Amino acid sequence: MWGQALGKIAQTLVVLFVVSVASFGLLKLAPGDPIQIMLGSEYSQEAYESLTAELGLDQPFLAQYADWAVRFVQGDWGTSYVARTDIFTYAFKEALPVTLTLASFSLAFAILIGVPLGVLSAVKKDTAFDAGAAVLALTGTAFPSFLLGILLIWFFAVKMQLFPVMGYVSPWQDFWGGIYHMILPGLTLSTYFIAMITRLTRATLIEVMEQPYIAAARARGEPSWRVIWVHGVRNIAMPLVTILGLQLGVLLQGTVLTETVFNLPGIGQMLTSAVLGREYMVVQAGVMMTATLFIGVNLLVDLSYPFLDPRLRARK
Amino acid sequence: MTKVDHKKVLAERLSARFGRRAVLKGMGAGLLTAAASTGAPGIARAQQSGHLKIASIKVIDTLDPHFTGFLSAIQIINNIHNGLLKIAYDGTNVSFEPDLAETWDLEDDKTHVFKLREGVMFHDGTPCNAEAVKFSLLRVKEGEPKSPHAWKLALLDEIEIIDDLTFKLHFSQPYAFLPVALNGSTGRAGTIVSPAAVQKYGADYGRNPVGTGPFKFVSWRENDAIELEANTEYFEEGLPKLERVTFVLMNEASTALAALMAGQIDGMTDCPMQLVDQVDAFPNATLYGEIEGNYTFVGMNCARAPFDDINLRRAVAWALDRETLVKQAYFGRAQQAYTPISPPMTDFFDPNIATSGRGQWFDLEKAKEFRAKAANQGEVEVTYMMAERGPVGTRVAQTVAPMLAQIGIKANLELIEPAAWVKRRNEGDFDLYDFEWVADLDPDETLYPEFRSDGAWNFGKWINTEFDELCAQAQVVLEPEARKELYYKAEDLLMDEAGIAVMAHMPIYKVFSNKVQGFEYIPADLVNLHTVSLA
Amino acid sequence: MSIQTPEAPTTLPPAEPPKKAKTGRRSIFLRRPFFTIALIVAAAYVLAAIFAPFVAPYDPVMQDINAMMQAPSVAHPLGTDSYGQDILSRVIYGARYALIIGIFSVLIGAAGGLVIGLAAGLSGGWLEWALMRLIDSILALPSLILAVAFIAILGQGVDKVVVAVGLSMIGPFARTVRADVMQVRVQLFVEAATLMSIPYLKVIWRHVLPNVIFPLAVQVTIRISEAILVSSSLSFLGIGVTPPTPDWGLMIAEGRAFVSFAAWMSAMPGFALALLLIALSIVGDGIREEFDPKLRRGA
Repeated sequence: MWGQALGKIAQTLVVLFVVSVASFGLLKLAPGDPIQIMLGSEYSQEAYESLTAELGLDQPFLAQYADWAVRFVQGDWGTSYVARTDIFTYAFKEALPVTLTLASFSLAFAILIGVPLGVLSAVKKDTAFDAGAAVLALTGTAFPSFLLGILLIWFFAVKMQLFPVMGYVSPWQDFWGGIYHMILPGLTLSTYFIAMITRLTRATLIEVMEQPYIAAARARGEPSWRVIWVHGVRNIAMPLVTILGLQLGVLLQGTVLTETVFNLPGIGQMLTSAVLGREYMVVQAGVMMTATLFIGVNLLVDLSYPFLDPRLRARK
Repeated sequence: MTKVDHKKVLAERLSARFGRRAVLKGMGAGLLTAAASTGAPGIARAQQSGHLKIASIKVIDTLDPHFTGFLSAIQIINNIHNGLLKIAYDGTNVSFEPDLAETWDLEDDKTHVFKLREGVMFHDGTPCNAEAVKFSLLRVKEGEPKSPHAWKLALLDEIEIIDDLTFKLHFSQPYAFLPVALNGSTGRAGTIVSPAAVQKYGADYGRNPVGTGPFKFVSWRENDAIELEANTEYFEEGLPKLERVTFVLMNEASTALAALMAGQIDGMTDCPMQLVDQVDAFPNATLYGEIEGNYTFVGMNCARAPFDDINLRRAVAWALDRETLVKQAYFGRAQQAYTPISPPMTDFFDPNIATSGRGQWFDLEKAKEFRAKAANQGEVEVTYMMAERGPVGTRVAQTVAPMLAQIGIKANLELIEPAAWVKRRNEGDFDLYDFEWVADLDPDETLYPEFRSDGAWNFGKWINTEFDELCAQAQVVLEPEARKELYYKAEDLLMDEAGIAVMAHMPIYKVFSNKVQGFEYIPADLVNLHTVSLA
Repeated sequence: MSIQTPEAPTTLPPAEPPKKAKTGRRSIFLRRPFFTIALIVAAAYVLAAIFAPFVAPYDPVMQDINAMMQAPSVAHPLGTDSYGQDILSRVIYGARYALIIGIFSVLIGAAGGLVIGLAAGLSGGWLEWALMRLIDSILALPSLILAVAFIAILGQGVDKVVVAVGLSMIGPFARTVRADVMQVRVQLFVEAATLMSIPYLKVIWRHVLPNVIFPLAVQVTIRISEAILVSSSLSFLGIGVTPPTPDWGLMIAEGRAFVSFAAWMSAMPGFALALLLIALSIVGDGIREEFDPKLRRGA
């Protein structure tokens, strides 16, 4: 048991190491550097060299990486080159909560809309409702999320004035305000997952409903809503959690676009502007956080199976 | 009195530099008003109210005035800091007015004497005195790391402190104060920062700016917002009027427009040209903007084939249909340019330039004639590098490419990231690119550093020593007519040898919702908010 | 991610023994009207892409200063963009770029994923461990960010986008390939073949590959849509395909500045994109349900 845990931890550390080297190296391979961007058109060679030396950007690649890695491990994430932001504050305290809020809202939307839609589709298999839900689900996966976001903004925020156009309000400080600001971005980001969950729920439930224990429940005379919503839906949890864990990457990537469109100061915007601005250390911080999140969530998914499926528990 | 003579000369020279007769008047009047308004501090001040939210779409690199390279940052910096002098605009004329200075005299042609306003405090409570000014100027001139604006104070020899509020600037050349005057006003070399704050924060001053301005810095959350609050101790009476200002940092211009229309923000520090029509059609917002001191051009790499061939360059210069460019790339908002000198430089700009025969314009026949003289008579294939940057992104390149096709030049449009674009521009690794020099007030600024043979900004490497001499000469000539002649000659060389193909002068826009009152537009891309209030 | 297919249980009655391929194929169009329609739509896109010069009414990059930002009309059925370029023609040519980017980047991703996945699945010991960590690492980086980084290195343009998107997709492919290899490896017929001392490579070629290729092909059909979406996202971020290439993502991105009064500029290419992706996904589902040996076994 402990050996296994240690192995997992070792694996995670190796992966984080590879990820950090890869992202640092990739960005260093790209032409351009932060000082040139910072100097804009007021370019002078002396200022360029002076600032480059000041920020340690004249060091060889390995030295820069080692310097970053040693400090990062010690909890010193550095400051950004141009704007002199404290990266830990920026990435961890400011950007991460925004992205996590957005991601959890989207997941909540996806589950709250996707599961009932999928269940109803399965129950009303081969009816107009089923077909309608299928079309809806397909459309959700087919529209680029940024286009959807822009259309939602223009219709619901500008024309109808129902929701705010943009911005982030922390739900911890202002719960309803936070929800209010998250509805449009949450919806935009969740369309893909609504579609996926609807399809998954429908397919799984159809399969489940043919199982003997469902027939048994029916035979016991349990009402049909109970058969479906309790015995049936219980069995959807496991495949759902697996898929969601694996699709976390897609979700994180969706936040990049959603955050840009709705001007949310999250990791997605942070990473894109940092990659384009060659803020190497900000990119590193963002990549390490998303990678840890990804690995952590998938570990949790693994760990959650016994809880979700009594059969697995029994086997142990 | 010799003193008066010196001031008069300087005033004339300033007037020449700015091309506006009104500068003289403005300066005198300004000095008087400054003297008059220096009443005792502590007079009952107006109660500040209102919270203005304004979208800032461009990059904010740092709030340290001595290190920023972006006008978008200066827009914010100027609300936190003051300079010795500032730019004012009355609707037709740009003038210089004293800001932190109360009086300003010339002892001789190389020595300026300043007396500062009394009782001005930085936001951290330290006094803004002669020492502070000296500190700021030296920080630009010889601080470490080197300020990119250091060259603007290259001629400053010594800063001599007379008493707490009085100091003298000694220059190595006569009337050499101008670079400070010019650039101090828009917030770089001549901006005064709190020495205590610089010592406290060091390299992080840019995140903790402390000035004397109408607003105090509160916070800066990356990709989110920069918050300012009213400086209740501000030295201009009754100002600022707003209690709070939020610069909402945005990457997506169309979202900013949507937010403006939905009333979620009150303005935009910049309105990209493709959105201007929509703002015009929106009844609840007002557009502020005029043609400013700038020009856009297609740059050619004169240092390597094929554009080391003067005839090929000339062919390009005459093949660009400026009318179509203005319409299509600039949404009909810009004005065709014949030479770099722009309309706001009224003493130098020729309103009849279109018929004067000077400069470059569209003449396909002429372009084809030059093309026929070019060394390479086959199809010339060139790389045109472009990026999603600047006022109109890749629109110029997309519009220009088919025009070049007409004279047998196949321009391969290459889209690169802004970061790579800057790198390749600085290294001269391109055949064609388009660019713009903006926020210039004087022909010297607009021509000399950009195209002098050894200039760091001469990315196309157009070399012409006669041009250098003409510009250098114009710097020391005082008589406006004579200066104009010199600049015209210099421009004619640049246009004739087609170091660039000049395209247009652009308007620079700001947008405010109609709730916002009292915004004073200054044609130098400034967003000074001290006079602004919310209805 | 193999999402279970909606129609699977209904269309494959468990009691019925698998029919001969011939009869199955003949009836598929009748049994699956949606599939048939989607296939026709997808085929139409392919034809439009191939014969774009004959179908499109205008040159897709012909600018017309007198016809800037026109609403849909008889002359321009889908309107014009801010350069006066005909949107219908650009949408038709755009099918070319969408399909090129979709297909070729997925092929790169699939090929890379196949190699790494096979190697990881078949090797053992530290090599397998190392390859697994490599796959984990690629997966842990969001593919859009990876694509942005690759574009930063490679430069921009359709070919670069294909490579960047392709490289960023290797991770998911590698993982599914490896999972399939692991399943096949422990099956009796592979063990038997190994015991019969059939050469290792031959075992892979004859027994492992066929069982891996099919699910991979299914993945390919699904991920074409993803590749097209990622490439359009790159255009939205201002990098990727070079204007004035008639690329849908680019057209959507460019048109977003004019949404309030010229919504067709973004909406038309957006609908073209959505329609293609919907059609591809229905076709992909249909093919998988009909031919996937696993689903058939399961049924």
